Amino acid sequence: MSQYDDTPKRTTFEQQAEAEALFTSIGDGAISTDEFGRITRVNPVAQEIIGYTEAELLGQWFPKIITALTMDTKVVNLIDRPITKAFLTGKPIYEKMIYRRKSGESVPVSIVVSPILLDGKPLGAVEVFRDITLEEEIDRMKSEFISLASHQLRTPLSAIKTYSHMLIDGYMGDITPAQKKSLRTIISGANRMNELISTLLNITRIESGTIAVTPKVIDVDSVIDEIVKEVSMMAADKAVEVVAKESPKPVTIRTDLLIFKEIVTNLVTNGVKYTPEGGSVIVQAKKRSADLLVTVSDTGWGIPKQSQDQIFSKFFRAPNIVRRETTGTGLGLYLVKGLVETLGGKIWFKSEEGKGTKFYLSIKPLKKQPAAKPKGEVPQP
Amino acid sequence: MARILIVEDDRDLNNAYSIILKNEGHEVVEAYDGQEALTKLKDFSPDLILLDLLMPIMGGLEFLQNYDLVKKHPEVKVLIFTNMENSPEVNEAYKLGAHRCIIKSWTAPHNLARVITDALQAKPAKSAA
Repeated sequence: MSQYDDTPKRTTFEQQAEAEALFTSIGDGAISTDEFGRITRVNPVAQEIIGYTEAELLGQWFPKIITALTMDTKVVNLIDRPITKAFLTGKPIYEKMIYRRKSGESVPVSIVVSPILLDGKPLGAVEVFRDITLEEEIDRMKSEFISLASHQLRTPLSAIKTYSHMLIDGYMGDITPAQKKSLRTIISGANRMNELISTLLNITRIESGTIAVTPKVIDVDSVIDEIVKEVSMMAADKAVEVVAKESPKPVTIRTDLLIFKEIVTNLVTNGVKYTPEGGSVIVQAKKRSADLLVTVSDTGWGIPKQSQDQIFSKFFRAPNIVRRETTGTGLGLYLVKGLVETLGGKIWFKSEEGKGTKFYLSIKPLKKQPAAKPKGEVPQP
Repeated sequence: MARILIVEDDRDLNNAYSIILKNEGHEVVEAYDGQEALTKLKDFSPDLILLDLLMPIMGGLEFLQNYDLVKKHPEVKVLIFTNMENSPEVNEAYKLGAHRCIIKSWTAPHNLARVITDALQAKPAKSAA
């Protein structure tokens, strides 16, 4: 308290009464424990959420009386309970879990546990949690809606692409080179729309935790070669060189082919998109003792320093890019980060405005599982 | 040349696939839902069925159950042609004996012809059921 603070000083009893009133009136469930995790105080909302009375909870060991499950319904071990983590780290812990009510029903909750520290020693903890049943349901409905909407958007696209290809291939008679060129533009537009739908679907899956990962040993160099060919073909109109730098030794890793390809394709496409004519994009893979490191470097416009910590945020587009490129969605790198995390990997970059950007992707081998899928095909489970 | 049944409710797409496959020299019969497909199958024994999943009246999964692909027609290849990726319906179709599942909006006509040729040359599909 500073010398200028004129707040009246409270007695210990007054402070206790104030804390009690605060605890009771919190709109979320609140439970406090001693340093052993025994419950010392419970507010009415907590009792309502978990279905136990105050008398049933006081003095009980918190992790024992209230069973916690992960969001995919696996029992959470004592060591992984937020309260344990708060004690061990001395820091507030934020998590989503499922609590089992006294009746046996499950209730999804969002939890914040803060340790009560005195001179660095834990005296106990306060856990505040709220019922997120409605939020989870809305989230599920949102994901279902996007999934269905994406599917419905693809149906007319299929007709646009199929008939355009048929016209080009001469199924309806001969056409002029100018007509062929126009049809290719239509197909390219349809492909962009298709990519966008895939991005939306993938983001929905990542956000709802339903993306399928099918590990398989892949030949990284040949996947990168394929990506470089595909992107070079797509970017044939732009004078940016896309190069796959050969690895000193053949590189393989067990990962999900489609997700890996999606990540690297996005990075290379971004490189081409944000590099001026005459520049280059270089992709290289290197196997290290514990992981695979893929780098994608370009000689592009770079990411301004003040935008660097936002670059993986949803819908974010750096100001120097918005001025030059109007077609982006700001979803590409957000998706890439989500996909990298799905593979348990890490992504980071170094960038200097006006000189270029280098992305680093580090992934570790995944455990063995059944087959992966080629593009455009859904594999047999 | 093979005998192919197309089951697709989108008339434009059904017509397009029909033109492409007839052009490849295949004998083609069209149906616009699962129910109509079952009726047409009384007079037509296909080597391959190109099957959409989401259709009115009778969808692809119900069709596969009624047709009893695994037990009664193991020699017939069923290619699922859908725009649903990684959905439970696709997994279910595989369990009911589907040979492959292809995403419509990614597949150009020349690829469709190739996928069908590959499927016809492949050994009979094993069921995951």
